[in-house]
Amino acid sequence: MISLKHINKSYEGKTVLNDISVDFPAGKTTVILGPSGSGKSTLLRSIDLLVRPESGSVEFPNLTYDYSKPISKKDSFSLRQKTSMVFQNWNLFPNLTVLKNITTAPMTVLGQSKAEAEKHAKELIKRVGLAGLEERYPSQLSGGQQQRISICRALAMNPEYILLDEPTSALDPELETQVLRILEELCKQGQSMVIVTHNMDFARLVSDKIVFIEDGTKVYDGDTKDFFENPTPRIKDFLSGISIDPTVEEK
Amino acid sequence: MWNTIITSLPELLSAMIQYTIPLALLSFLFGLILAVLTALIKFIKPSENKALKYPWLVLRAIASFYVWLFRSTPLLVQLFIIFFGLPNAGIQLDPFIAATIGFSLNTGAYASETIRSALMSVPQDQWDAAYTLNFSTTQTLNKIILPQAIRIALPPLSNSFIGLVKDTSLASSITILEMFQVSQQMTAKNFEPLLMYSLVAALYAIICSILTLLQHYLEKRTNKYVKGSAA
Repeated sequence: MISLKHINKSYEGKTVLNDISVDFPAGKTTVILGPSGSGKSTLLRSIDLLVRPESGSVEFPNLTYDYSKPISKKDSFSLRQKTSMVFQNWNLFPNLTVLKNITTAPMTVLGQSKAEAEKHAKELIKRVGLAGLEERYPSQLSGGQQQRISICRALAMNPEYILLDEPTSALDPELETQVLRILEELCKQGQSMVIVTHNMDFARLVSDKIVFIEDGTKVYDGDTKDFFENPTPRIKDFLSGISIDPTVEEK
Repeated sequence: MWNTIITSLPELLSAMIQYTIPLALLSFLFGLILAVLTALIKFIKPSENKALKYPWLVLRAIASFYVWLFRSTPLLVQLFIIFFGLPNAGIQLDPFIAATIGFSLNTGAYASETIRSALMSVPQDQWDAAYTLNFSTTQTLNKIILPQAIRIALPPLSNSFIGLVKDTSLASSITILEMFQVSQQMTAKNFEPLLMYSLVAALYAIICSILTLLQHYLEKRTNKYVKGSAA
């Protein structure tokens, strides 16, 4: 389990995260929801130290890191070993082929042999249905394909958790479906995931737990079923604002 | 006319091979090394670790001062100070070495800004992606950032190199028998300034044309991963 405790973060005097504590259970999918600018991405990124909160801590079984104290290179390494991030704009390395995008980190960081890394990468590429594209460059792939490759890249590091920051927001519905199918598959296999998303149907389908954040404050933290079936007035507003079809909530 | 050209060409070409080209190549090589170091020092943020932070800030100040100094003074004056001025401070340099030092420092200062801007043009997203995969800063630079930055820096760096080839003619003023100096000496003998200076101009143009071709070749190679520019 990952536990974030009392996280505070501000940018230029503006509070982005206000004393947020939340657990992300292992083997489960937690979805973070909230309006734009609510601080969800900041919260997700602080797990991987891409954002450094001013105070609070991140806790794993047997490991605790206090954000307010300097974190040594060794500690940030072991922290990042546990998680891998998938980004909204996938952020593949444009100068590397699909295969090398996936194998470079395992070879450089984990010291895997080329043969070992490539074997694993090819398995992953096959798993996301993109076998045969190994030698292409990212610019020769569609957005959906790139995002699927970036999921492979994250998985290749064997992280305990995959953190996904609006993984499908930059994709059209058809490409989005390709990516969501893979995430659903991972979810079924018991991969621990934390997902920031705006896709409510997907959130409802895959998540075991919902965290709802607004203006840097945690508004809801609990069961997915409860979130959609017994929404508070504010959550109801949010849900009806997000889906054009008012019947979606009643499904 | 042809006769004059044919008799003067061997000497001009030998000056080109002996001085102009080595001076340009060596100065660009050293200048580039200096430029990459200076750009990285100015680009990489000081670490949180206090033991490393202050030495880094000092290095940064030195790098900024160096770039400021060599961009704010004329190249010819820099050469004069190094060759004619330094002996007064007890440093006597061979003209070729003095020229190489001057051209390297000058090229390094300009090229460092080119490289720094190329480094800045690689999006932060690339750093984030590398860090989440647990690359160190050095690994990120080597595998991800520099390969992308080189592609962006290539055209302006070619500018610097081509500029440097022509600037080596300034070495004539610190007693080096490079191509332009030789053409001046020949003019003094054959009284054909138009012909001689046009000939030497053509020789510079030939070197620079070869460099332009090299630039195109390198651009094609480094562009292979960019959409719409399939080589």
